[in-house]
Amino acid sequence: MVQMTRRKFLVASGCVAGGLTVLYNLGIRAAASAPTIIFPDERSGAAWIQIRPSGACHMYLPRQDMGQNANTGLAQIVAEELNILVADIIGERPTTSDVPPLAVTAASMSLTAFSRPVALAAATLRESLRARAAAMLGDSLANILDDLGGFRTANGRKVGYCELVSGTGVVIEFDDTKSPPPLYTFDPSRQKKQIGHSVRPLDIQALVTGAPVYAADVQVEGVLYGRVVQPPVRNAHIRSLDTQGVMQTRGLVKLVHEGDFVGVVCKTPSAVDAAIAQIKVTWNLDQPISQLAIDSLIDVDAEMMDGDLEHVLQDEAHRDTVDWDIDLRFEVQVQTHAQQEARAAIARFNESTTAHGLEIWTGTQDPWAIKRAAAVDTGLSQDDVVVYPQRLGGGFGGREYYEVERDAVRLARAVKRPVKVQWTRQDEFTASRCRPASTHRLRIAVDDEGNLSDWWYGYVSGHVALARERMAGWLLPMMRLGTDMGVVKGAIAPYAAPHQRVECTDVDLPIDLGVWRSLNGAPAVFAIESAMDELAIQRGEDSLQYRLAQMKGAHPRLQACFERVSEMSTKSLLPKGDNYGRGFAGGIFDGRCYVAVSADVHIDAETQKIRVLHMCCAQDVGLAVNPGQLRAQIESNLVWSIGMALLERFEVADNAIQSSNFNDYQIPRMMDMPSLDIEIIDQPAIPPAGAGEVALIAGPPAIANAIRNACDFRAVKLPIAFDDITANSRA
Amino acid sequence: MKLNVNGVERQVATEWRDESLLTVLREQLGLTGSRFSCGIGECGACLVHVDGVPTNSCLMPVAAVADKAVLTIEGLVAKDGTLHPLQQVWIDENVPQCGYCQSGQIMKALALLKENKTPTDDDINRAMSVVLCRCGTYDRIRKSIKRAALFMSREI
Repeated sequence: MVQMTRRKFLVASGCVAGGLTVLYNLGIRAAASAPTIIFPDERSGAAWIQIRPSGACHMYLPRQDMGQNANTGLAQIVAEELNILVADIIGERPTTSDVPPLAVTAASMSLTAFSRPVALAAATLRESLRARAAAMLGDSLANILDDLGGFRTANGRKVGYCELVSGTGVVIEFDDTKSPPPLYTFDPSRQKKQIGHSVRPLDIQALVTGAPVYAADVQVEGVLYGRVVQPPVRNAHIRSLDTQGVMQTRGLVKLVHEGDFVGVVCKTPSAVDAAIAQIKVTWNLDQPISQLAIDSLIDVDAEMMDGDLEHVLQDEAHRDTVDWDIDLRFEVQVQTHAQQEARAAIARFNESTTAHGLEIWTGTQDPWAIKRAAAVDTGLSQDDVVVYPQRLGGGFGGREYYEVERDAVRLARAVKRPVKVQWTRQDEFTASRCRPASTHRLRIAVDDEGNLSDWWYGYVSGHVALARERMAGWLLPMMRLGTDMGVVKGAIAPYAAPHQRVECTDVDLPIDLGVWRSLNGAPAVFAIESAMDELAIQRGEDSLQYRLAQMKGAHPRLQACFERVSEMSTKSLLPKGDNYGRGFAGGIFDGRCYVAVSADVHIDAETQKIRVLHMCCAQDVGLAVNPGQLRAQIESNLVWSIGMALLERFEVADNAIQSSNFNDYQIPRMMDMPSLDIEIIDQPAIPPAGAGEVALIAGPPAIANAIRNACDFRAVKLPIAFDDITANSRA
Repeated sequence: MKLNVNGVERQVATEWRDESLLTVLREQLGLTGSRFSCGIGECGACLVHVDGVPTNSCLMPVAAVADKAVLTIEGLVAKDGTLHPLQQVWIDENVPQCGYCQSGQIMKALALLKENKTPTDDDINRAMSVVLCRCGTYDRIRKSIKRAALFMSREI
């Protein structure tokens, strides 16, 4: 049955006839990582790699491209296994009708979850081709040796893949009962030809020439333009609505109002702006939206006074009445994704029976979820909806749901014409699901030798994975009995103490929340690494050496990152003076990714700014499939660290989101960019883990610790403003 | 109404004359390389040259540029398909991540290098801070501009 399901897709996409095709399962690891998202049934999830009679290798790219470039890494794995060049792989992006559902592109799981199945598929294909070569040459399998693009024999005969694929559509299935073929990718003794080298994105030329690759670039004949009024929070309901002025708008095609959904369709984009400006809505809210409301909901001290927090993540011989050497409260405020692309979608309904009833062009982390949701929303069958995934102009966790697609679908249905919707920047700020605010109480006590004896870490955060409106309301209470994988991320410190307790509570905030790069990793590690730095300073010890000692040898890979970054940092001279400082921080993300960062800062009294001058980073995420791409992800995470530590301040007030654009929410600019020194610690024998959100856990505390080093100011709240420091010195 | 884009005269339909230059480029002329991101001239994703001056096309009424020469990212590639040196350097340095801002980055870098053939780090910081990149490709942009400066100064 399973094979039939796969074959149905293969036949539908016309690929079976094309050549020799191998399928691969997605594996269950992807499913385990993010319980809130409907994942494909592991047995039916399949994609393909194919060698055509021309010898060309075609590969369905299983990941949504948004800058992380994971598909290139997967193509490198295929090339390594098949002894071909990456440049010779023709990548194809499947629509939702070409293959069964592929897991959402999220949580930096692409290489973790896909590298092994992809390697296995490509190696299976290679060994099948080898058997064909043996038969063709009348030689034994053992004598058929690898060669570029084919095989050779010991006596010099060569045969290319193209000669082995006759065009008879053959699909190779895994045989679970047999031992798997050797995987070159994970063989540490192998001198790799494709893996471990920096490879540019397959489609880089399109990106520097302005080629159409994003959803809004798609040209659909007869398209109209629309937009919807975004509520300040998704559980808001319309209290009053005034659309009087709308009907006079030149270019208006239709005002669409269904329940809490109010939007317009117009002939041109400027008419949409004009029409939307005429809609006056007030909203009924379940909770008032204000900073005060958020602050009181996440008050960790109030929660801890009431007794145990909701989820105990670690409890080893905990003692709550000791003399604490460190007792600090940290606060991290709301942040938003602010990806550069204002998201867009185009929807078109078709009457024709030969086409899908509904076509959607969109950039999304989860095309199959969009397809399912659109089917439910419109009453069409899932088979009658197709999503054409486009490149994302940044995702960062904020683009998983049926939202801009919903706007386009409902408006297109109302006017029976294709409609393009592109959110405004204000829509992005209002309706992107933010990283929650959180507060953290960290208490540490040391014994007579200066070793950690007690560690008590409690924190309260808004929900992440289990945020309201991220899943069906009936499911939430049940899911929330367990822990929220986003909220618990990063909470367990790498330091050893005989008495430890880590606990947290997660709460509903009055704004929409969701997944943001590193989840709770960056907030938690900010608290942990700031507290450890402070403890070392108070004890008069070298902060870095003290932290290494307190790991008690338990985390050699993290230790190596710290040691490496310590050495790297000495290459750059920190200017002398009171207002210059250097700080370090490090951590473990997801139990598999290790990172340490140093930051040099200058607190500039003249410009009244805190400036990061230089950052070093050493990172170990296992096998470095594409070192250039790992580097790019580290650069990105370090820039985000500056935004989180110093710049990004999300404002709410008066029952609305006040941050509306890049003039009132500052993200890093070129002038904020420090010089960088980055090293990747390669681990050829360890399967690759995701690098997309690792260094962001260490960057912000490294900057905070550098500020402490420069001017004795211990930042306990992010973002840190220059005024925080001067206010502190006055006090 | 006519528009001169990348050296080619283009017609703008009557009902599109109240639109922004960006909207007309994208929706009427099929030149989608300039992109909408902020709509208020804060991010530079829509940056084009109007008579050689870097301009945020999202804020520029199309009617205001009718008699001017507009250059977009699509106009940088030579007729024989050869990439502009800046585009080639952008590939060599592997600059783009998500890529959405890169048309604006390249157009702004071109304007900078036209004015200043040997920009310092400070010059680059000042000039390029008007084009945002959320992925944080700034380090590579800085390197690319310096490399392109060397390359282009030899050409001129």
